[in-house]
Amino acid sequence: MDLFANLATGFAVALTPANLGFCLLGALIGTLVGVLPGIAPITTIAILLPFTFTLPPASSLIMLAGIFYGAQYGGSTTAILVNVPGESSAIVTCLDGHQMAKQGRAGPALAIAAIASFVAGTLATVVIATASVPMTWLALKFNAPEYFSLMVLGLTGAVVLAHGAPEKAVAMVLVGLLLGLVGIDVNSGAPRMTMDLAGLADGIGFVPIAIGMFGIAELAVTLGKPQDRSLLTVKFSNLWPTRADIRACVPSILRGTAIGSILGVLPGGGAALSSFAAYALEKKVSSTPERFGRGAIEGVAAPEAANNAGAQTSFIPLLTLGIPGNAIMALMVGALMIQGIQPGPQVMISQPQLFWGVIASMWLGNLMLVVLNLPLVGLWVSLLRVPYRIMFPAIVLFCCIGTYTVSNTVFDIWTMLLFGILGVFFYKVGAEPAPFVLGFVLGPLMEENFRRAMYLSRGNPWVFFDFIERPISAGLLLCAAALLVILVLPAVRSKREEVFQEE
Amino acid sequence: MTSRLNVPDLCFAVFLVALGALAFALSGQLSIGSAAAMGPGYVPRGLSAIVMIYGLALGIRAIFSGRQSFPEIALRPILLTSAAVALFAVMLPLVGLAITSFAVVICSGFAAYDVRLRENAVVALILSAFGVLLFVKALGLPIPIWWR
Repeated sequence: MDLFANLATGFAVALTPANLGFCLLGALIGTLVGVLPGIAPITTIAILLPFTFTLPPASSLIMLAGIFYGAQYGGSTTAILVNVPGESSAIVTCLDGHQMAKQGRAGPALAIAAIASFVAGTLATVVIATASVPMTWLALKFNAPEYFSLMVLGLTGAVVLAHGAPEKAVAMVLVGLLLGLVGIDVNSGAPRMTMDLAGLADGIGFVPIAIGMFGIAELAVTLGKPQDRSLLTVKFSNLWPTRADIRACVPSILRGTAIGSILGVLPGGGAALSSFAAYALEKKVSSTPERFGRGAIEGVAAPEAANNAGAQTSFIPLLTLGIPGNAIMALMVGALMIQGIQPGPQVMISQPQLFWGVIASMWLGNLMLVVLNLPLVGLWVSLLRVPYRIMFPAIVLFCCIGTYTVSNTVFDIWTMLLFGILGVFFYKVGAEPAPFVLGFVLGPLMEENFRRAMYLSRGNPWVFFDFIERPISAGLLLCAAALLVILVLPAVRSKREEVFQEE
Repeated sequence: MTSRLNVPDLCFAVFLVALGALAFALSGQLSIGSAAAMGPGYVPRGLSAIVMIYGLALGIRAIFSGRQSFPEIALRPILLTSAAVALFAVMLPLVGLAITSFAVVICSGFAAYDVRLRENAVVALILSAFGVLLFVKALGLPIPIWWR
């Protein structure tokens, strides 16, 4: 298949008026929630998920993707102007971006953030388009054991890259896998762990879990914390970066894009990690590292490029292998499955319009964002003045309505409430919800492939680790083991340092 | 003596053991089968056993891993947010979306410490109207507006 022919197919889908509209809508909603601290893109996607069910699959994915990368743009606006990250991946943008704003250079900071995001978005779209074809070819060689091992690797990645204690992330993955099994067993038709509740026959609903944990729980926790939203009165004397700024930023943007593209593909990776890594690299390669943290424009350009590139390339494992690399991609899997599409390598062949349409829309969405974002900065800033106490009840209401509309029963609302309370508990004991959601989505798929592989090997578990017959599966498990070793090493080191300090 | 107890870790461990035990009991009726031909109970029983054992291990470690008390919980936002969600579940089938939305917004508004009565009421009215217009009229979702 020819790349240009594929992209042409994609643009034909993405350029229809309806899909352009959904792309714009998604990008705008994404920017909005990116700007507003306290509403994460994952919460927004979870809330809007039910409303996309009535749309055609391509339109719904185009809009949901727009929310994700739109949030990367919006998050930097808040970071630069208010010194509060509107979104977790914008934390490092605060460092130099806000310093620039204080020095009266808010305009160039915002402009370079938008330009860096756009350049990275464009390059990442090309990366996705070129990487997808060989990835899909590889994926067609996958059988049950390979899929199982790949999911093990994905979950290990989620554990390694989770914030907080890794042993709790492991526990959360296990809990997610276990709860994913609730419902009727596909092979035998036997109801499992349903407690004779009709509402559990099809398993615990994905939407109530996602909205409960990322919506309700998040809100309750945020409200319990003190709020700080002192706005900086910014003067936009000059919006455009100088020629020297641009020259300084070009290599930074390219380096940021490269880092983001690579880290985005890794399981558990994505936008937030990419921006941290890019900032660290810029500081390392700079001849004047002391300028960082005092308004260095490279310190804005590189992480912004990286988080946008990472946000986009994290779609690669989802679109080609059907394996979500992070919690937001797990929501996308949920969206596809409810549309009746089983994500995986066959999607690209059986639904080329969907696949390439989404990819083409990413580039269009980035273009819209860079055009719209700078003129709209004033509007976003005025939205920041809306107090949280007004936004918050609206979000609670939308969470409820969104969950209810999935299957029009209040059973889902009670499920959402239960998982909201559980979410607060998890937050308080320091356990991340993201590995849980990933485990929950992958649970049934893993069980199915595990059972099929074991059936084919007549109960021999070495089928997963057979270097001669199944090199891909064995290689994937080896990668997972290597990740775990890396995870243990620094812990061992720091423990040892503690011991040495005590002596 | 609670001097060495890590309370958050211990709570999490207790949760894991309880959940594992519940899942183990609930999947007790399902046939297990063999490794080559697994029954519906094979994976659930295996996984719930793993969760229980893992929880036990975390629990034992939490007893000896140094003192840490449970973090403070701001009860008001959690209770009132939960109450608002429960209100939605109870009221919607009885009185329809318009009145339910109003009640949910009023209730959850009080979860914020800086709630203002008049403002909250106005917001509730606007959101109630907005919700009905957007979701029922514009998007055509099958939600009752009033009681039946």
